[in-house]
Amino acid sequence: MLRALIAKDLRRACRNPLPWLLNLALPLIITAVIGIVFGRQGDSESGLGRIRFAVVDDDKSVLADFLRGAANQGKAGQYLEPVFLERAAADQQLKADKLSAILVIPAGFASNYLTGEKVQLELIKNPAEQIHPAVLEELLEVVAGALNAISRNFNSEFPAWRKVIEGNGDYHEAARLIEQTGNRLQAARQYLFPPLVSYTDQPGDAKPSAASEPKSAGSNRGSEKNPAPKFNLFAYMLVGMAGMFLLMLSSQALMDLHRELAMRTFERYHTLHNKLLPFVAGKALFTVVIVSIGATILLGGGQWLFRFRWPRPLELGVLTLAYGCFATGLMAVTVAIMPDERRASALNNVLSMIVSMAGGCMFPPEQLPSAMREHLSPLLPTYWFATTARELWWSEASWQIPAAKLAALAMLCVALAAFLFKRRFEKGTR
Amino acid sequence: MLKVSAIAKAYGAVRAVDGVSFHVSEGEIYGLLGPNGAGKTTTISMVCGLLRPDTGEIFVNGKPFSASPDEAKRLMGVTPQDLALYEELTGRENLEFWGRIAGLQPAGARTRAGELLEALSLTDRAKDPVKTYSGGMKRRINLGCALVHRPKLVLLDEPTVGIDPQARASILEFIVGLRATGTAILYTTHYLEEAEALCQRIGIIDHGKLLAEGTLSQLQERLGKGHVFTVEADFGASSPAQWEGFAERFLVLQKSEKQLVVAAVGKRDPSDCLKELLALPVRLENVSLKRPSLNDVFLHLTGRQLRE
Repeated sequence: MLRALIAKDLRRACRNPLPWLLNLALPLIITAVIGIVFGRQGDSESGLGRIRFAVVDDDKSVLADFLRGAANQGKAGQYLEPVFLERAAADQQLKADKLSAILVIPAGFASNYLTGEKVQLELIKNPAEQIHPAVLEELLEVVAGALNAISRNFNSEFPAWRKVIEGNGDYHEAARLIEQTGNRLQAARQYLFPPLVSYTDQPGDAKPSAASEPKSAGSNRGSEKNPAPKFNLFAYMLVGMAGMFLLMLSSQALMDLHRELAMRTFERYHTLHNKLLPFVAGKALFTVVIVSIGATILLGGGQWLFRFRWPRPLELGVLTLAYGCFATGLMAVTVAIMPDERRASALNNVLSMIVSMAGGCMFPPEQLPSAMREHLSPLLPTYWFATTARELWWSEASWQIPAAKLAALAMLCVALAAFLFKRRFEKGTR
Repeated sequence: MLKVSAIAKAYGAVRAVDGVSFHVSEGEIYGLLGPNGAGKTTTISMVCGLLRPDTGEIFVNGKPFSASPDEAKRLMGVTPQDLALYEELTGRENLEFWGRIAGLQPAGARTRAGELLEALSLTDRAKDPVKTYSGGMKRRINLGCALVHRPKLVLLDEPTVGIDPQARASILEFIVGLRATGTAILYTTHYLEEAEALCQRIGIIDHGKLLAEGTLSQLQERLGKGHVFTVEADFGASSPAQWEGFAERFLVLQKSEKQLVVAAVGKRDPSDCLKELLALPVRLENVSLKRPSLNDVFLHLTGRQLRE
């Protein structure tokens, strides 16, 4: 009978595919929007790609040259792609969406800095982008902090340095300054190397957090033979999106129960000798099929779109399937509780967003208020899914228990929904 | 096949069904006649197990429904008043699906769907989605879905509502054929003609109570075995109560300023009755006589027309 029930629903969905296509297209659209916002940066392991920005050097001093050089050397060169342009050309490229930001080094920057006057670096961000300009802003704050620190510690030597930089000092003076600065740095070495505060990566121990993940990207969390993949922002976000979207998709699919109530077919079924559970279970299985297709589009499509590979696709698939079952069960209960489709839809949307948010799907769980993070989130199935799926990225997480918990909860929810519908029929509530 | 014993159902202060009792035998069509809101659908809903009666008991094939509802439901086929069909599916698919749900094997459901499509004259539209059907065709498929598993007791809740006379005649003909196979049929309707033409016994229900029950002639006899007379006149302030001996000879069914509907009391010759009416102390315009209809019975029982 379950086969007949599911076949009927699939046939109906095929005959009237538009609502389902729209629902299934939603994750593709969301993924594509993210792709447009961040750009399709598939070559980079960081997932964000190199950040292209312009440096407009109106100062033309040695200090400005030093800043220019620092922007594309060493480690920075892996992540940053500075181009050196005149202001007009930079503006033009920014408008053409070819740059994430423009860094302007104003005229007189070096001389003002070395005389202890207040100086400013200007960063013009591309309003069409979100993350890259924000990263540049953060980096610029670090540079500003370093310049402030240098200014505080080497202030007394600035006049001499200024003479050297401006080409007015002799070689002896320059050599003395370098030696003096070297000595001071040597004296500060014990405080700087190692720094007063440090951390050591312990592979396999601490759970990675959203905040620590980018820092640990360069470290070797996995074994030497099989190094773990580095943090990927898209993979991280897609898991969260899946957590919320699958709830919404299952809600949409289960609204068919209300449609069946309105069409009186549910009632007709109840006049036959069968129990209500198979009918609700059939609808739940149909929903799981729809949710699985949605998850494949979201996670599989995302993988293709952003050119990364899920490290443990099978485990992620099973976990996602279990979560899809849970989402279906939860929505079946709310559909059974609410008297009509309109109200059930409103409740489901609100519920989906709340449990997604509280479960760390929309924001990293570490960013949630401590009371919620410590007492509420760990109880939520959305948290079990999102956290475990993200941990799978490092090939360390145990996924079996969360998956089993999700599947068990799903079965309980479906049985509860069938019971609620039975009670509803007995009361004569349509 | 079906025995309903003093069932009642209340929604708060509203008593939707109040102590209704009747029975339906094999090969019999029992009509439950009443206006909208009389309690017909609530009665059927209790009989088919959609609602639980507050009091009373239902027996199907001699066994209490409450003791073995699944067994009772296996014997039943229900055609709800509203169309309960999947409009995206074809007529054949609907029949096959409900057959599978009722417990038929796929091959059996296919064969039975073919038979029903033939019997309901829908074979040529079998592959079309139901949403493309006319109202009458949808009603026929709706009826067919209740019969796929060959039930011994069929509950038909106003199966001809909202369709044209030709489609209605086709459905009624099919139901008569069904009765010939020995199926017991509980048929609710608010169409007098249907109840008169189709049902062996009729129960008249209003405000949740079964007011009268019996064959058509038994119900007609409640108005005397004679005829019903319609007297048209300008009655003005004149009232039948003022006319000497009138109340003993005639039963007033309805009175308005211009019209008086009466039935003769006892077995009397219609011509004698006519003479007596012509002798009334009012200025007569017209007097007509007819055999009492169910509407007259309903009028007599409730004081209002069935279609009011």
